[in-house]
Amino acid sequence: MTRRQFVLRRSLQAVFVICLSYTLVFFALFALPGNPIYNKLHNPLNPLPKSAVKPLEHYYHLDDSPLQQFLVSIGRLFRGDLGFSLVSGNKVTDLIGHAIPKTVALAGASLAIALVLALGIALLAVFSPWRAVRNVVKLLPGLFLSVPSFVLGFLVLQVFSFDLGWFSAIESEGAKSYVLPAITLGIAVTGPIAQVLITGLTKAAREPFVTVLRAKGVPPMTITARHILKNGSIPSITLLALTVADLLAGAVVVETVFNLPGLGLVTQQAVRDQDTPVVMAVVVLVSAIYTIINLLTDLLYPVIDPRISVIGQKRPRRRPLSARRAVGA
Amino acid sequence: MPTFSRRPLALGAAALLIGGSTIAAGCGGSSPSAAGTAKAATGAPQHGGNLIYLDAEIPISAQVQESGYWQDRAILQNVLDRLVYRNAQTHKIEPWIAQSWKISDGGKHYDFVIRKGVTYSDGQPLDAGSVKRNLEWQINGDKKNGVSPNPVFPRKATITADAATSTVSIDLPEPYAPLLGVLTTWSAGLVGDKTIGSSHDAQALFKNLVGSGPFTITTEDHAKKYVLSTRKDYKWAPESWKNQGASYVDSVTIIPVQEDAVRLGTLKSGQAQLLRYVQPSEEKALAAQGYDVVARSGVGLSNQWFIRQTAAPYLKDQRVRQALQIGIDRQQIVKDLYTPNWSAATSVLSPGTVGYKDESAKLAYDPDAAGKLLDEAGWTGRDGSGYRTKDGQRLDILTYIDVFDNTAPALYQAIQAQLKTIGVNLIVRQTDYSSYNAKAWGNPKVATLRTGWPDPDASIDLENQYGGAGTGALSYSGGDAFGLKNSDPKLNELLVKPLSAPTQEQEEQDLGAIQDYLIDKAYVIPIFNDSQVWVAGPKLHDFDLTDGGLPEYHNAWLSS
Repeated sequence: MTRRQFVLRRSLQAVFVICLSYTLVFFALFALPGNPIYNKLHNPLNPLPKSAVKPLEHYYHLDDSPLQQFLVSIGRLFRGDLGFSLVSGNKVTDLIGHAIPKTVALAGASLAIALVLALGIALLAVFSPWRAVRNVVKLLPGLFLSVPSFVLGFLVLQVFSFDLGWFSAIESEGAKSYVLPAITLGIAVTGPIAQVLITGLTKAAREPFVTVLRAKGVPPMTITARHILKNGSIPSITLLALTVADLLAGAVVVETVFNLPGLGLVTQQAVRDQDTPVVMAVVVLVSAIYTIINLLTDLLYPVIDPRISVIGQKRPRRRPLSARRAVGA
Repeated sequence: MPTFSRRPLALGAAALLIGGSTIAAGCGGSSPSAAGTAKAATGAPQHGGNLIYLDAEIPISAQVQESGYWQDRAILQNVLDRLVYRNAQTHKIEPWIAQSWKISDGGKHYDFVIRKGVTYSDGQPLDAGSVKRNLEWQINGDKKNGVSPNPVFPRKATITADAATSTVSIDLPEPYAPLLGVLTTWSAGLVGDKTIGSSHDAQALFKNLVGSGPFTITTEDHAKKYVLSTRKDYKWAPESWKNQGASYVDSVTIIPVQEDAVRLGTLKSGQAQLLRYVQPSEEKALAAQGYDVVARSGVGLSNQWFIRQTAAPYLKDQRVRQALQIGIDRQQIVKDLYTPNWSAATSVLSPGTVGYKDESAKLAYDPDAAGKLLDEAGWTGRDGSGYRTKDGQRLDILTYIDVFDNTAPALYQAIQAQLKTIGVNLIVRQTDYSSYNAKAWGNPKVATLRTGWPDPDASIDLENQYGGAGTGALSYSGGDAFGLKNSDPKLNELLVKPLSAPTQEQEEQDLGAIQDYLIDKAYVIPIFNDSQVWVAGPKLHDFDLTDGGLPEYHNAWLSS
């Protein structure tokens, strides 16, 4: 299979996964107790009259059977029409489009922080010449994992915004607005990445090729940077891919604490309110994010380690020893 | 009402934890403000500044007929003018866009003389023709654009406008006593033709709201920020407003911050000047630290539980229901869980509401009398846990903690403990926001449900909540909140009566009769009078609340 065939095949698989997720979530929403219009009507602050129920249901096709509603939503989806929020009446494309830039910026900054931290921790934990430093640094991933992001978020807000006044807790300050939430989120995802990286580097450092390189007199820095890091980071790349998807779709706690209404907050509110059109749009988006990132990860493996073949190329057969001898190999 | 928050419990707990630490860094002490009024100005009001206000919830929709959520009301209140204004102190109705009015023909004919020189924010004149289009839009809705009729308006009316005399007339087929009160509310706000003519979805956006109020919405960054900018040419405020010109502040920035601790920390660090809702436990400490805790118990229904008689056969017994009614110590609950900004319910309606009647004598806590009533009803046995039994059946009352109020879990637990002392087993269950209606309202075995929140007109609200032919939320589940199955025609008769009262005096009498009936029959268990609580920073002065507890920024000013 060529690389192009591989990409095509995985793209088709991605479309299948997205369709399956969409279908399953759509019908799962019907299985849940409650009804978005019913919820809206029973909210004590909602002035909607009983007489408004029918037009609303008709407008959103809620009086059709689940299958009919599904077909209507699929038809709209193919036309690029994601519908309107059942709660606010806003266009779903507007809600999602509004949230995505904040989420992407936050996820990007968090990931950069997590990568720097995880790499620093892993390198120190594996290569520090002082045993005490290695032992202490190895505790950090566990510590990061055990501190809930909302606690850390409140603490950094208290110190850097409320006490020192360096950052606004509420106002948009451009890139500065993302510093505290990115640190909070970055620390939260550093733990697992650092742990996997420590294990990978430790294992790679014990490989025979490292002994050979040392014997050849290759400088330790070069061995670490060009060989151990490259070989030892493969497992953490898989984790990193999953982390990216999580950062894009699941940063609801940090978004709430730092008043950054991104995709996580939109998702949380839509699920809470059973706002079907918004939930479905998020499902499509998140499925697409996951499958695209998985595809990119698969394509990245052979770049980092040519021994890995994800596209099923046949490896050149090793010549028989006798043949190699014959040509003086 | 405390707040409409559905935050994860973990977040709430952390908020409390960290919130406590923010409170510790306080400033000088002072006493809380009088109810509903911010601290008195200490000098001449200063112009300018951006008032940053932190709300507990994200605004949902600006569509006028559907704008019932608190955070939506709070915006509309400041952007849209109304024909008439209800004075929060005197509860009297005053001229606003209508400079005068006349009611005749036994309450079936209204004439409003429209003030001249008023304009919408886009320059369109607010004249008799515009008022006519607004009233027709409210009463009839707009089918083409998917806009429903406003349920608080009369269902039928003929509107005429006379440009020469600048008069708008409303002719009703039958009297509709709540009309004048309805015209004071946020949802009767007058909007320009641009808003009326747009689609339902366009109307849902705040930036598309064209009003004639003291503020216009200039920025809408969904869920992040809403900026209300002052109209410099505003000069048609109600007579009772201290400020008759443009608002003192240049703008009001509304920022939804859902976490209690973040709201509080932001206010205390001086990054904002006003917030809505703090935990009752924090109110006293904040007041002691010099913050202005501004609260108002909104008019409308008191916070109450209603009893569904179909949930268990013994709930049809009036003595059992009465025992529940007097087996709850409301004063103790308010003392233990709330603050002086809250009060125990004394009727089905809150004090200050048109037609309120004090029923506190009938609701006085009397566990001995409650016990006697239950004895008389045959609940004389006791099980191992001390709960009453009758013919081997335990006296169980199933309820669900409502999801609209952060203080609800503690409230339900307190009532559970009090009812246990008279031998009633209150079974309290909890669920999440999205399934609350299905599990609590949809479950016929649930015996009591909580309702009753501030609302501008008690006649409409009572009929909506408890009437068989109601137009509101509860009637969606069949219009039989008490599970009476048409066995009490007198109730429906009483509930519709104030709606068509020809005079306010008659409406008040009719409302009094409803309160008597609901309490005497023990259909309803009033709990407490709901309050809206605000905290203002030291630089904010003359911040007012309406009688429904909505903010009015027009008179507010910031000191330098």
